[in-house]
Amino acid sequence: MTRASQPDFHPDQWQVTPLESFPPFEKWDDWTEYDAKAWPRKVEKRYMLVPTTCFNCEAACGLVAYVDKDTNSIRKLEGNPHHPASRGKNCAKGPATLNQIDDPGRILYPMKRVGERGSGQFERTTWDEALDAIAAKIRLALQEDRRTEVMYHVGRPGADGYMDRVLQSWGVDGHNSHTNVCSAAARLGYALWSGSDRPSPDHENSKFMLLLSAHLETGHYFNPHAQRIIEAKSKGAKLAVCDVRLSNTASMADYWLATWPGTEAFMLLAMARVILEEELYNKEFLEQWVNWREFLLVKRPGEAPGFETFIRVLKTHYAKYTPEAAEKECGVKADTIVEVAREIGKAGTAFATHIWRNAASGNLGGWQIARALQFLCTLVGSVGAKGGTNLNSSDKFVAPPFLKPSPQTVWNELLYPPEYPLSHHELSYLLPHLLKDGRGHIASYFTRVYNPVWTNPDGMLWEQVLRDESTIEQHTALTPTWNETAQYADYVLPVGLGAERHDLMSQETHSAKWISFRQPVLRVARERMGETFETTREANPGEVWEEDEFWIELSWRIDPDGSLGVRRYYESPYRPGEKITIEEYYRWIFENSVPGLPEEAKKHGLSPLDYMRRHGAFLVEADTWEKHKTELPEETVQAGEFDVDTASVMKDGKAIGVLAEGRPRVGYNTPSRRLELYSKTMVDWGWPEHALPGYIESHIHRKHLDVNKGEYALCPTFRLPTLIHTRSGNSKWLYELSNTNPVWIHPEDAERLGVDTTDLVRISTRIGHFVNKVWVTEGMRPGVVACSHHLGRWRLFDEGTDRWASSKVTREEVEPGRFRFRRIEDIRPWSSNDPDTKRVWWTDGGVHQNLTFPVQPDPISGMHCWHQVVTVERARSEDRYADVFVDTEKSMEVFREWLAMTRGSKRPNGLRRPLHFARAVKPALEAYKI
Amino acid sequence: MQYGFLIDHRRCIGCHACTVACKAENDVPVGDFRTWVQYAEHGRYPAVKRHFAVLRCNHCTNAPCVTICPVNALEKRDDGIVDLDRDACIGCRACMQGCPYDAIYLNEDSGSAEKCHYCAHRTEQGLEPACVIVCPEGAIVPGDLQNPESRIAQMVAELDTEVRRPEQNTGPNVHYVGHEPSMLRPGSAERPETYIWSERPDDKPEAWPEELATVPDARVVLDTGHKVEWGWHVAAYLVTKGIAAGAAMLAPFAAFLGLSGFAHDYLPELIALVFTLATTWLLVDDLARPKLFLTLLTRPNTKSWLVKGAWILMAFSATVPLTLLARLIGLDGLAGFLRLVNVPLGMGVAGYTAFLFAQCEGRDLWQSKLLLPHLLVQATMCGAAILMPFAGAPGWLAAILVVGLTLHGLFAAAERNAVHSTDNARQAAAFLPVVKIGPIAQPWKLATRAGILIPTMLVVAATRLPDSLEPAAVVVTGLAALIAFAGLYLYEAVFVRAGQLPPLS
Repeated sequence: MTRASQPDFHPDQWQVTPLESFPPFEKWDDWTEYDAKAWPRKVEKRYMLVPTTCFNCEAACGLVAYVDKDTNSIRKLEGNPHHPASRGKNCAKGPATLNQIDDPGRILYPMKRVGERGSGQFERTTWDEALDAIAAKIRLALQEDRRTEVMYHVGRPGADGYMDRVLQSWGVDGHNSHTNVCSAAARLGYALWSGSDRPSPDHENSKFMLLLSAHLETGHYFNPHAQRIIEAKSKGAKLAVCDVRLSNTASMADYWLATWPGTEAFMLLAMARVILEEELYNKEFLEQWVNWREFLLVKRPGEAPGFETFIRVLKTHYAKYTPEAAEKECGVKADTIVEVAREIGKAGTAFATHIWRNAASGNLGGWQIARALQFLCTLVGSVGAKGGTNLNSSDKFVAPPFLKPSPQTVWNELLYPPEYPLSHHELSYLLPHLLKDGRGHIASYFTRVYNPVWTNPDGMLWEQVLRDESTIEQHTALTPTWNETAQYADYVLPVGLGAERHDLMSQETHSAKWISFRQPVLRVARERMGETFETTREANPGEVWEEDEFWIELSWRIDPDGSLGVRRYYESPYRPGEKITIEEYYRWIFENSVPGLPEEAKKHGLSPLDYMRRHGAFLVEADTWEKHKTELPEETVQAGEFDVDTASVMKDGKAIGVLAEGRPRVGYNTPSRRLELYSKTMVDWGWPEHALPGYIESHIHRKHLDVNKGEYALCPTFRLPTLIHTRSGNSKWLYELSNTNPVWIHPEDAERLGVDTTDLVRISTRIGHFVNKVWVTEGMRPGVVACSHHLGRWRLFDEGTDRWASSKVTREEVEPGRFRFRRIEDIRPWSSNDPDTKRVWWTDGGVHQNLTFPVQPDPISGMHCWHQVVTVERARSEDRYADVFVDTEKSMEVFREWLAMTRGSKRPNGLRRPLHFARAVKPALEAYKI
Repeated sequence: MQYGFLIDHRRCIGCHACTVACKAENDVPVGDFRTWVQYAEHGRYPAVKRHFAVLRCNHCTNAPCVTICPVNALEKRDDGIVDLDRDACIGCRACMQGCPYDAIYLNEDSGSAEKCHYCAHRTEQGLEPACVIVCPEGAIVPGDLQNPESRIAQMVAELDTEVRRPEQNTGPNVHYVGHEPSMLRPGSAERPETYIWSERPDDKPEAWPEELATVPDARVVLDTGHKVEWGWHVAAYLVTKGIAAGAAMLAPFAAFLGLSGFAHDYLPELIALVFTLATTWLLVDDLARPKLFLTLLTRPNTKSWLVKGAWILMAFSATVPLTLLARLIGLDGLAGFLRLVNVPLGMGVAGYTAFLFAQCEGRDLWQSKLLLPHLLVQATMCGAAILMPFAGAPGWLAAILVVGLTLHGLFAAAERNAVHSTDNARQAAAFLPVVKIGPIAQPWKLATRAGILIPTMLVVAATRLPDSLEPAAVVVTGLAALIAFAGLYLYEAVFVRAGQLPPLS
């Protein structure tokens, strides 16, 4: 078997038999395999194997599609051994892609609304008609310079950079995302330290791992991380997992730290204190790479800024975080905290950590939890180290496309409202509240693989603004499946799944940089067999298209004559003046933007594009540790000057590097170019009390709860290993494994409430309630209840959300502004071209919680703080399973309460946002100025 | 050569990738699984763990499914894989009773059984099974257990591994390491009404008898369903077969038992014939592929008691009409002789099921040593019951019936209360009182109390009727017989179902 000279990432130690894991690469074009369905009759089937990238979660794992050469259909999807992160392996959601492709309920043709918005009435239309209507709306907005009235709202991007280019080519500030219902808090915590807003742990080489996440079952980036966590464990590394519920990950851990939710930062700071007091910290690393000089200049002005002083001041500052105090606050034994802290100290630079969602996304001030976690990494010097916790900027590679448009010169306050200058990033889930508040208007709104009515808190408000054609003139849903939000679209445009589209992706899965290419495999296979296609939709099922081509075509129609300056970005770099093909777009990137790829391709006698078409992934750089130590180029050093007080290289009053380990080096992407224990940004922008990593009491802190009144903290966000938000309702193999989301509750609490497993409870929030059944479990912290957000899909009509996943409900406005959803039909078997629809045995599908959650924006990070103070009681006589009740009058009230917690008035230099902070689709400087 | 798996639960994270990859590779219907992951929680907060077990066919060295398959559709290949020929399968589902691991299911579309075949279609092309290549943790180690050079053989030699249910003596070739031991002992943990994030499949809605949970603070929290494959056909077949056999077994004593005339000469054989035909119809109708019934004869597995039973039934179906024919053409001597021949054949018809059930390695309750004598008692009792209304007076037949019912009741009590030697038998016995049959509230109680007491009382009443009411005796004994049959059917239905209720995984 000849392998590509790029390594086959499937680890050798797993080659345990004379059997191979994958067909030999040289036979991928024409692979003959026995038909499993006919076996033991030996019926040969001919396949072409085409690599692509999974589009279920965000990990971008490799897949290889088996395209049946006789039927031009996809038989199955396996892993891609050429993929540096997934290494030929997948989770359950990879192979389940097949269900999504063959889903009998999928949308195959563009649909146009015919009744009122939300009436569920659609008719088939053409792509041409939809394109013209949408292009006309956007063209008018651009012509009238309404550049904040076009909005692209993305759930799962699944691509790097493509849309940034599209939006900037239109000159609009219109990128909205799902980030602030997801990761905003942790992003801020990380960004304050290093300027990089996500961690990239090198689990593989670590000796101790501390996860505030569930990476052995879900999350960014489940499969690649889970492989490496277990690899490290098998080499003797230990694992600690912090979670209020016993996740599968916590089950595999050496330590399960079931903190009282929201107190995690306190526990982490107590560990930091142990590390400081017991001198387990990495003196050299701290001395060189932390901005302690800057800190002392402020904290101890006039004193000689010595490192010893710094340590002394630090010890004093964190003295109150004793393990005993932590035990009292967090509910984790002091001994355990000390033991874990010592393990961290022992692991030293090989200390890998991660927080994704989890506590950071649940709590007011959750961003300090991520910051406290990174404090531990900093103390032991594992930031950027082998086996440590690296920065996403070291491990993610975004290849620039040709002809980058200039940044937009407008600022959209619907995305970044003035109250939240430090948010990471768009205040996406406040869009309906801001619109209702009269802060704007949208001419053309795209929801793209995004389902805010269901996913976001306060979905009823989304429903209200989406119904209102005067607020949102045009709504286009780009989606592979029907969902709760697409019901309120004017156009529902079917876009491809993981094997039906082009995208280029990279993720910080481990200490390497790589790219993965998503491809429409049927088109690629058939083109290789000699057919030609103008568009991907000609090769996909029905008229399912891909967005890349859609945006080219749309942009061309927005500016057919080039007068708006849009068209030129969609002209071929190879055929001047002519419309670019999607093949040319990626060909240019692979030829010009990926270091090493052209050379590697040449070795194989392939063009760079062909190389990527056949391998699907490319390792750009391995072993990406210690990027901060990169030396500054000599000429840069010459152009700058040294600042002795901070040991930095300065230019124009700004640090451009640091003097560390004896040389001028690039350091980190912060104003001080060091890891910022002390954040001047926080001081400057009005939060001086949060200049250092600290502890903020959560909105669900125990003192806010009265257990005797049935008040509990609800943790409503945890994923299941087999589902992925609302994108997996089209997979029968995933739903037969996961189809209910009972409320986890500890036996003591169950006894207090007088309920047992399967009994119904009513769970009330500030704006409503839902009725769910109980799951009594020892795997839950007492006093806290939890419910997975992965279930509870619904549909108002016979068609709509996938029937594998959704129950039919009625939505009734019982009083003005007060709505009740009641289930009228369980999930049940139905007839289709798939015999499995008749075999559906599950009936439940779970209960939707998010409708009953008010928005709770963290005043600093902008994160929606998911955890809820709830009242749990036995269901009342009028309650039915899966009832959801919402009072939208109260929605705005809670929104205003949280809004009042902001301090948006501080605007250093008259800016809307610190310039060094990342911003999605970053505008020009002029847009930053108020 | 013996292909096998080592499931490394030090590495497995319970992600279900193997489950889904297998479904994709082998087009496994919704609701059925060739490999699946069970979750169980053990302990009390905060010292609580969730454990996983990857469960599937063991490719047994002594595969009971191969032994019981009547048509050789299941095969132990030279490389040790237990493979299944879906073209040959007749859909009798005996393999699912033979398998002690819940590893086989019926594909309702094709009517064939299906199971893990170690992706033999892949291994023959030099590729690993689909579950192996997908596993993110390399937790499924494939290979030849008999090759000491192979990694799996070395790991099994070096590590503290276990197999599932070794007491079944099947020689499982899937080994486990790093697992929670009780997860390989099905039924030892509690089962709640719903699971952690799945409904509990309603294939077995019977309440979980609390006495079954033997491991403290342990419960299964996620699992797949396994259907009860043998139902009313099998229960009814046991009754019709008993009637046919019993009538034949009592035939030589017809005169002594008070039968005369037509009832003496023809009735036992006519009853045997009719009920044998009914038995055959039930057997054929129960097949998922009834049209392939005759392959039982054309490609018989002579080790299978389904085949041996079929031969006994065929022989019986031949000698019984011959007996009638001999009588019809006046060869009374031959008829009398054939009646004697029919006695052991009838016993075979009644009793072979005990040997068939003994081959059901997955149903320890059915493997009871009491089953053979119990079936013979049932047959005798059935024979007496059906002949009684035709006898001049209840007399001996009544006595036989009453004794039979009593013994039947004692056997039933013994099955319920005996000290069972395996967990599975103990669990099945615990299910007996809670089994649900259609709308009947407590079928076990009904079958073992009313089903015995009422016919007994009716028979006693019939024997005590004054001569003047003799015609009424026919009605009373007829009623007694019908209630006895109904009771027996209910008993069999409960017994057959209870045997299939304990989880094998």
